Amino acid sequence: MKLLDASKLDELAKTLADAGYRVVVPAEDDEVVRYTEWTPEVTIRTDAFPVNSAKDFLFPRSEVIDRYELQGDDFVAKDVAPEAPKTVLLAVRPCDAQALAMLDTIFNWDFEDELYNAHRQATTVVPMVCTEADAQCFCTSVGGAPDSSAGADAMLRPADGGTKFILEPLTEKGEALAEAAATALADGEAEPDPPAEVPVRFDPEQVRAWLDENFESDLWDLLSLACLGCGACAYTCPTCHCFDIQDEKTRNEAVRLRNWDSCGFGLFTQHAGGHNPRPDQAARWRNRVMHKFSYIPERFSLLGCTGCGRCARVCPAGMAMLDACVRIEEESKKAPAHES
Amino acid sequence: MDLEKMKQDAAALLEDGRANLVIGFRERAGECVPAFVTDADQADALTYDETCIANVAAYLRKPEVRSRRPVALVARPLVMRSLVLLKAEQQLTDDDVLVLGVGDDAYHGVLTLAETEKLLNDQYARLAPDAETLAEIERIEAMSPEERSRFWSEQFAKCTRCYACRAACPMCYCERCIVDRNVPQWISTAAREHGNYAWNMIRAFHLAGRCTECGACEAACPQGIPLMLLNSLLAREVRDAYGQTPGYDAEAQPVIGSWNTDDDEEFIR
Repeated sequence: MKLLDASKLDELAKTLADAGYRVVVPAEDDEVVRYTEWTPEVTIRTDAFPVNSAKDFLFPRSEVIDRYELQGDDFVAKDVAPEAPKTVLLAVRPCDAQALAMLDTIFNWDFEDELYNAHRQATTVVPMVCTEADAQCFCTSVGGAPDSSAGADAMLRPADGGTKFILEPLTEKGEALAEAAATALADGEAEPDPPAEVPVRFDPEQVRAWLDENFESDLWDLLSLACLGCGACAYTCPTCHCFDIQDEKTRNEAVRLRNWDSCGFGLFTQHAGGHNPRPDQAARWRNRVMHKFSYIPERFSLLGCTGCGRCARVCPAGMAMLDACVRIEEESKKAPAHES
Repeated sequence: MDLEKMKQDAAALLEDGRANLVIGFRERAGECVPAFVTDADQADALTYDETCIANVAAYLRKPEVRSRRPVALVARPLVMRSLVLLKAEQQLTDDDVLVLGVGDDAYHGVLTLAETEKLLNDQYARLAPDAETLAEIERIEAMSPEERSRFWSEQFAKCTRCYACRAACPMCYCERCIVDRNVPQWISTAAREHGNYAWNMIRAFHLAGRCTECGACEAACPQGIPLMLLNSLLAREVRDAYGQTPGYDAEAQPVIGSWNTDDDEEFIR
């Protein structure tokens, strides 16, 4: 068993950084805990839920996808090589690792996304088992678990009452990482701590069955009343992957950018002619729920939500995917889907 | 604070049709989140304490809420000021809203907009700006321009352009925000340095003389950007330069955006 003293997470990060990894860790930054690149100055915090998701390092919020230069009278396309440094996502949440299946699928669905795949291939994923959960956590309702190793190359398991970590490699990438970290690790035995207890709050199948029958329902109006139409939920969501393409130019150079976008924004489906097929927040919020619990399961046999609960933690209006699903399940029990 | 009285008032307003919707607060897993009460028998779920920081006046721009007018809002003094200011900016009339006034451990009962304005001037005329924020503004003003620029660059680097600040603000009621104007695109929407700087600065400028310093934008920012430093700085400038504090006079002309021919300044004529 490869062990690490719980107080030496920083040393593990340093060892990996010295070995050439860009090390992404949950760290404190002006009272906010976020996944960020490790430097000797950062304070690692595994006790608080990071505000951003790990997708930031695979699908950045803004990325140059094309570049053009004015040469004489012609714009000449320049190569855009993906900037994909060897990266380890260290001590991320299992629900963030679980979300990678969703992103891997969507970015290789009808088109193999070079940039995403370059980041992904360069990334080693090392989630830490959650030994604590908060009221917004619901991974167990959506096929996850606080000790899930889905999407993981290696696991960090808190052990011996939080005094140690067990580093357990699961894939080749994980083995390579364990080797790179060897000087920070010791061999020995330790007893893994029990994972957090996360109660099952709803059944996604039940939710989906209701969704499939209730595109037109008065409940959407009520469920979305609090939504103020910002993108806080989508931008912190580990599976949300919608983007907008923008061209920006200066006198001699132009770049094409891929920027995050959110179905919560009024502009998201606004047509050039003025029509908007999702004219109000009820239609937009409905899309958010439908996408995660009906459309994605239908297309990919995956759930579009990993129960991380960030949407609820960051929402200034008190909206929550968890609450919506619980409410929908209640509704489905009130009026079962009609039989045909 | 007499919470029971507030619940009774909310229920009575819904019961007798003086309001179709009460927007207040409820408790969710130890946190305070906005609550939407449409039936008198749900009013018991309402709660209030000083952690209820959202400015529910922001909902008045939402068509789904406007269609339910008259609406009653649970409002602390800084939110009351937002309502008076919205009236001054012709966004609200006395018939649109009622106020369930809360403040300084007191419940002020059901108020009309006119009564709200009077209460503010009688009891909350001197709301002291947050001392911590003012101290931080002083610290930043003492910096060299290079240091200050670096400070804001670091802060704005966190911005993901989720626009939670805009969504949480009752004064951001433009039907089409300048950042959403895309033919042509006025401001880069990329969450990168240039566009982030432009967005945050333009939003602060658009709120100069219009911000009641409720703090809802800063509380809404998932990334923890200290937006109130900008807003409070501009509010202070407006106080110093024009002697005005927004949200106390429903007849007031906007500080930026109004002019008169008697102005002392030559350039205005």
